[in-house]
Amino acid sequence: MAGSNGVNLNESKRVVPLNTWVLISNFKLAYNLLRRPDGTFNRHLAEFLDRKVPANANPVDGVFSFDVIIDRGTGLLTRIYRLADAQESQPNIVDLEKPVNSEVVPVIIFFHGGSFAHSSSNSAIYDTLCRRLVGLCKAVVVSVNYRRAPEYRYPCAYDDGWTALKWVSSRTWLQSKKDSKVNIYLAGDSSGGNIVHHVASRAVESGIDVLGNILLNPMFGGQERTESEKRLDGKYFVTLQDRDWYWRAFLPEREDRDHPACNPFGPKGKSLEGMKFPKSLVVVAGLDLVHDRQLAYAEGLKKAGQDVKLLYLEQATIGFYLLPNNNHFHAVMDEISEFVSPNC
Amino acid sequence: MKRDHQETIGKKAESSSSSVDTGKGKSWFEDDQDAGGGMDELLAVLGYKIKSSDMADVAQKLEQLEMVLGSEDGISHLASDTVHYNPSDLSGWVQSMLSECNNLPSTDLDSSFLLSSNRDSLLGQPPAITSLDFSSNSHSKVFTDDSEYDLRAIPGVAAFPQQEFDRSNDRKRMKLTPIGSNIAPAPSANSLQSPTASSTSSSSPQAMAVSGTLSEPTRPIVLIDSQETGVRLVHTLLACAKETQEENLELADALVKRIGLLAASQTGAMRKVATYFAEALARRIYKISPQDYRLDSSCLDTLEMHFYETCPYLKFAHFTANQAILEAFANASRVHVIDFGLKQGMQWPALIQALALRPGGPPAFRLTGIGPPQPDNTDALQQVGWKLAQLARTIGVEFEFRGFVANSLADLDAEMLGLLPPEVEAVAVNSVFELHRLLGRPGGIDKVLGCIKAMRPKIVTVVEQEANHNSPVFLDRFTEALHYYSSLFDSLEGSGLTPRSQDLLMSELYLGRHICNVVACEGADRVERHETLAQWRTRLDSAGFDPVHLGSNAFKQASMLLALFAGGDGYRVEENNGCLMLGWHTRPLIATSAWQLAAGDSQQ
Repeated sequence: MAGSNGVNLNESKRVVPLNTWVLISNFKLAYNLLRRPDGTFNRHLAEFLDRKVPANANPVDGVFSFDVIIDRGTGLLTRIYRLADAQESQPNIVDLEKPVNSEVVPVIIFFHGGSFAHSSSNSAIYDTLCRRLVGLCKAVVVSVNYRRAPEYRYPCAYDDGWTALKWVSSRTWLQSKKDSKVNIYLAGDSSGGNIVHHVASRAVESGIDVLGNILLNPMFGGQERTESEKRLDGKYFVTLQDRDWYWRAFLPEREDRDHPACNPFGPKGKSLEGMKFPKSLVVVAGLDLVHDRQLAYAEGLKKAGQDVKLLYLEQATIGFYLLPNNNHFHAVMDEISEFVSPNC
Repeated sequence: MKRDHQETIGKKAESSSSSVDTGKGKSWFEDDQDAGGGMDELLAVLGYKIKSSDMADVAQKLEQLEMVLGSEDGISHLASDTVHYNPSDLSGWVQSMLSECNNLPSTDLDSSFLLSSNRDSLLGQPPAITSLDFSSNSHSKVFTDDSEYDLRAIPGVAAFPQQEFDRSNDRKRMKLTPIGSNIAPAPSANSLQSPTASSTSSSSPQAMAVSGTLSEPTRPIVLIDSQETGVRLVHTLLACAKETQEENLELADALVKRIGLLAASQTGAMRKVATYFAEALARRIYKISPQDYRLDSSCLDTLEMHFYETCPYLKFAHFTANQAILEAFANASRVHVIDFGLKQGMQWPALIQALALRPGGPPAFRLTGIGPPQPDNTDALQQVGWKLAQLARTIGVEFEFRGFVANSLADLDAEMLGLLPPEVEAVAVNSVFELHRLLGRPGGIDKVLGCIKAMRPKIVTVVEQEANHNSPVFLDRFTEALHYYSSLFDSLEGSGLTPRSQDLLMSELYLGRHICNVVACEGADRVERHETLAQWRTRLDSAGFDPVHLGSNAFKQASMLLALFAGGDGYRVEENNGCLMLGWHTRPLIATSAWQLAAGDSQQ
């Protein structure tokens, strides 16, 4: 079940490049050490093991970053990534929040993954990914360092996402010249994808405009075991046991996996029919054991009459977007760039 | 798997590695490239240093580990009973865990490592014998996580408050109430020592460090939701600095005045920082030299004591350095610490306490404290030494103290210190915020590093500010310092103390003096020449030192320390290639590193 027999290990090795396999296996190993059977989490070891990078106001490959505490009460931090002007080699502190100077500048609010418990905005894997998005989409990226489980359960992560959305939408320096509005997209992978959905839902109800949602391998679940969950359990880095652990760590104490946070279109879910929900790009990896859930999510959007583009990558595993060494990676980057482009 | 698209990120990593050559000597990048097989560039960007040629081997080890860790028991053991080191060296990390698994449950005393459970040792089971292998080709070392002792011994107020001490002659045992009145009583042994202690055997302390993907220095900036006036204030400060640099003094003067006005409309940290920087600029413009930095050393010590109380930076420095020293001293029966800046000796009660509680009994402990001459000719060093001696006596540690007065560390020679041979006495050299002061004096740092080597230390602990305040370009220095001290002041604001408390005010004055020195002084007077960990690494590496890694136990205890002592939870500990950094949110502010003589250098 936990992938401890030889066949399972070889299988995952066949479908990803070796360095990707090493990277994700390393995470798997580390994460196994961090989750305790009693539901607590070894946060100190987690922070020790996580590879982090500082923000850097010196542009690297044309992108610079800086951190902002947007809520002193909760200490909520976001890391903001921007394109450096061609002329300036070292943006000054006063240039950091200089108004964006294009007709249309997408602002992508990014929620990192980690199953609600792992990683941070300054984790190297996510810093790298966000930098790519800036160059790819000519966007400003705002990566939200939301509070994590199990110390902070539902709805903390969503609340932080909402705080970030409000903050971003009220920054005059992020307004596109064309319409003096902030052109906001929400993006996230794994738990970040889940957060995207819930923040977007709240935005709809509150009248803040979100132009699009990007969900990469979003983390959804349900009480019932789906076919893919049963078939792929333990085969490609992920087990049902660990998925269950993370949901128990995030959801309110006595709730099960049909809680709408976990299963938004499930028995306790709510239909989005008739609501002005943003268009969605849903990327699903065929070798992700919860892909049935992700496909069902896309289906649920469609049934509610929402605009959804599904990108199903049959041979992709979790984390394929962390390294630019496979075709899935490039396919997804192209899709994202198009999705966010003003010509769409 | 096809790899059609070559990512340009590979090129970036390549170019950064080739431009690391600082001309100061070998860099670890060059070293690793020469070692046959470059690093996997994609993983390097993500913080992992693995040679491409090792990838298959690492993969195999991961598989092996997976098979061995089939049971939950295996995992929980690795999670709770071992100390991890330097996760960037993935190969070493995995190997050390494998070794640990393969050696369960042996207790081979002859081998270079031994396992023990934390709980067992606390419950009075036979103490574990720890052994540290400092040879550069060892693959693992294990350390029992005696975390609880270190934390209890840290002074929250001075461990030997003056009044209590003068009356203590007839007291048989000095009660250590290390955790001060404003903090909750020390947690019980069990609760500190929760079953989640992280520890594993380590990889060898080789000079494998991931320098990050950048060769140029990074500029980490953390803004606190800046408002309009904040930006204008900063803009004016920078403009003033620029005009000062260019000697447009009339304009600079006008700008300084404007800063004052803008600062008055600000609140909190920003106002204070701006005020200090404005004052420093004014001094620079009008060429008013600040009071002699050295004459004021005792005054500075007092301010530093307040700074010690207000925020965790100094405690973190002492704590992490002590951790490294303790590990290095694990088997020694005679130990000698050379403290490059004794001051009030705040670092040492905790170490003495930890040594007293060492399984197998304490070593004989010798402390050599170095300090500047006092303006009133009092022997400040001896006073501190005497207090420490009293403490050591009451807790049963054989103690000897010697003070050395020196204007500069560069005036020292190893022969003066009366060191015993390494076989007899293990030596630790401890420098907390002292090395940077040597950078203003040509040849100063080289002389001191050479002197350290001549001491043949088992370990050298270095704590420094994580900032480059030593750029020859004034404006660069000014800008760096502005960001740095803004974060520092902000952390003081967030420290939960009511505003305008005595401690807070003194702490601000303490930092204000540093700001003044960085901005208004030049030449030999400018002693606050902070440089970054990356710069210190290069320097120490060139001088013939190898890193000794601080592990997950030190990390965890340091994190717990922050929770105990700091009011705000913006403080963060970060691991950086075997070093530990303390920062405010994501901005690292101080860095602790540990060093040993490079293999082959020990004869010098």
